[in-house]
Amino acid sequence: MENAVSAVQLAKNFVLKKRDGLRWTESEVKAVDGITLSIERGQSVAFIGPNGAGKSTTIKMLTGILHPSSGQATVLGCVPWKERTRLAKRIGVVFGQRSQLWYHLPPRDTFELLSKIYEIKKDVFLSQRDMLIERFQLAEFLDTPVRKLSLGQRMRAEVACSLLHSPEVIFLDEPTIGLDVIARQELRDLIREWNREKGVTVFLTSHDAGDIQHVAKRVVVINHGRVVLDDRVSRVRRQYLSEKVLSVKYADMPESIALEGVKTLKESGHAFRFEVDTLAIPIEKVMTEIMRIGSVVDITIEDPPLEEVIAHIYSAPPTATEEDEDEETGAEDE
Amino acid sequence: MSKYFYIALTSIRSRLAYLGEIGSKTIFLFVVLYIFLCLWKVTYAETNQTSLGGLTLKQMLWYLVVTESIIMSLPTIATLVDQDVRTGALAMQLVRPLSYPLNMLAQTSGERVLSFALNFVVGSIIALMFVGPLDINFQGFAMFLMLLPLSFALDFTIYFLIGLAAFWLEDTTGLTLIYSRMTMILGGMLIPLELFPEGWQQILRVLPFSAIVYGPARAFVTGDLQLFLSVLIQQVVAILVFALVIRIVYNLALRRVFSHGG
Repeated sequence: MENAVSAVQLAKNFVLKKRDGLRWTESEVKAVDGITLSIERGQSVAFIGPNGAGKSTTIKMLTGILHPSSGQATVLGCVPWKERTRLAKRIGVVFGQRSQLWYHLPPRDTFELLSKIYEIKKDVFLSQRDMLIERFQLAEFLDTPVRKLSLGQRMRAEVACSLLHSPEVIFLDEPTIGLDVIARQELRDLIREWNREKGVTVFLTSHDAGDIQHVAKRVVVINHGRVVLDDRVSRVRRQYLSEKVLSVKYADMPESIALEGVKTLKESGHAFRFEVDTLAIPIEKVMTEIMRIGSVVDITIEDPPLEEVIAHIYSAPPTATEEDEDEETGAEDE
Repeated sequence: MSKYFYIALTSIRSRLAYLGEIGSKTIFLFVVLYIFLCLWKVTYAETNQTSLGGLTLKQMLWYLVVTESIIMSLPTIATLVDQDVRTGALAMQLVRPLSYPLNMLAQTSGERVLSFALNFVVGSIIALMFVGPLDINFQGFAMFLMLLPLSFALDFTIYFLIGLAAFWLEDTTGLTLIYSRMTMILGGMLIPLELFPEGWQQILRVLPFSAIVYGPARAFVTGDLQLFLSVLIQQVVAILVFALVIRIVYNLALRRVFSHGG
């Protein structure tokens, strides 16, 4: 069976015009600089990267909105930008910052309209809709105009709408942006459920480490328009687990700590946060030293959060044409 | 095709949320029609004519009811397209199995039909109050019903093109303003083409503006078959030309920069 998504050396350049006095100068910005990727059916992939890394541009190419400058891609066997309408019936897309619901009408009407747009048979539509209403708990606000919904309710309806035509692949571009902790958790669970139980391939971008951890099994990090990391989420975490974070509270001011492989992250009053590289120094030695330099009131040892792992990957320097990158941020930023 | 029809219906339902706005427009319609009734009364009296440009005072007011209803029912097509392009919301539209231009056409036409119907009803009530019923001519009414959708479609193609200009221009409101004023003046919203100087009439009759405003209104009040046929041809040709231009421009536009966020 063909892959859900495959891209080979996919690239997109934008022309950026700049005014220099009275003259316009054009420069080319590489938003996506040769991405090669393949995603099997049924996988759940988090596609992450800092602002301006080229995430949205890639999604837009894979959904057929944008024509690439070079390279190839197929989604479910279709070339997206050539067979946009045909592909559209088989994929679902949610842009967290945009709405596909009719603002003045209740979600029920949008469902109805989408069933016509996607040419879904009446009985299939009704059973699919009722199932989504139940699973996404839409019943209580199904007849309330969208403008009166909370963001959490709206996003649930948005995602449900994008699943109405039973897509085989769903692209989610920051679906949890702006949601509170509970709403976020609910939405993640639903996306995961659709992936695990219905076998929908999930392609998700997010800035939220929780989204990645809970929904995706594989993470692809892009930066400066290129793939910088492509691995299982669990493995990425483990790789960085050689680092530990120690929070220590002393009774009074301790002596300063000077050990190879120990970095002071934060210091406030008598409380300290140390980062320990356990490959450079055994944790036991560090503990002994911490006990020695003062009287410890409280201590906790943690793994670095996924967020820090990501930040670490992001901060890796670009490998090519650095000049272009700043401009790209301006062109692509939300 | 049925999906576009359904989009138009949904747009009408959505538009009903703005009844207040539509209502306030009809007050304006009342004022405009009253003022022009007074002006034309004076004009007919001063010139001692019963017919100006082939229309009696009664016909003139009914002509105005139609032209004003057409102009005032205009949805903000160019602004919608401009916004979609500028904010990147166009992306949301492109991930559906839909043609964006046809979707826009369906959406704005639904809105326009509703708005026109309301304006026309209110305008008719005003005309009935002041000048009484038009000698109803079923032939004229049938012609009008055929020309009106084409008039809306033609108007749409031009506004859609102006909206697409947002791919290249910083601001399209200037173009919208120029075009809308030209439709009003050169399309014969206030003064039928017959009252323009001879030389002008020749030009105005081939420009698209008259096919949008003057044509349907004149057919409505006179039921003139010759006029109907020439307006029909003018509309069809203009729509085909502009649709072709849209096709070319739209395809060019899709390949252009899409750096508008998100």
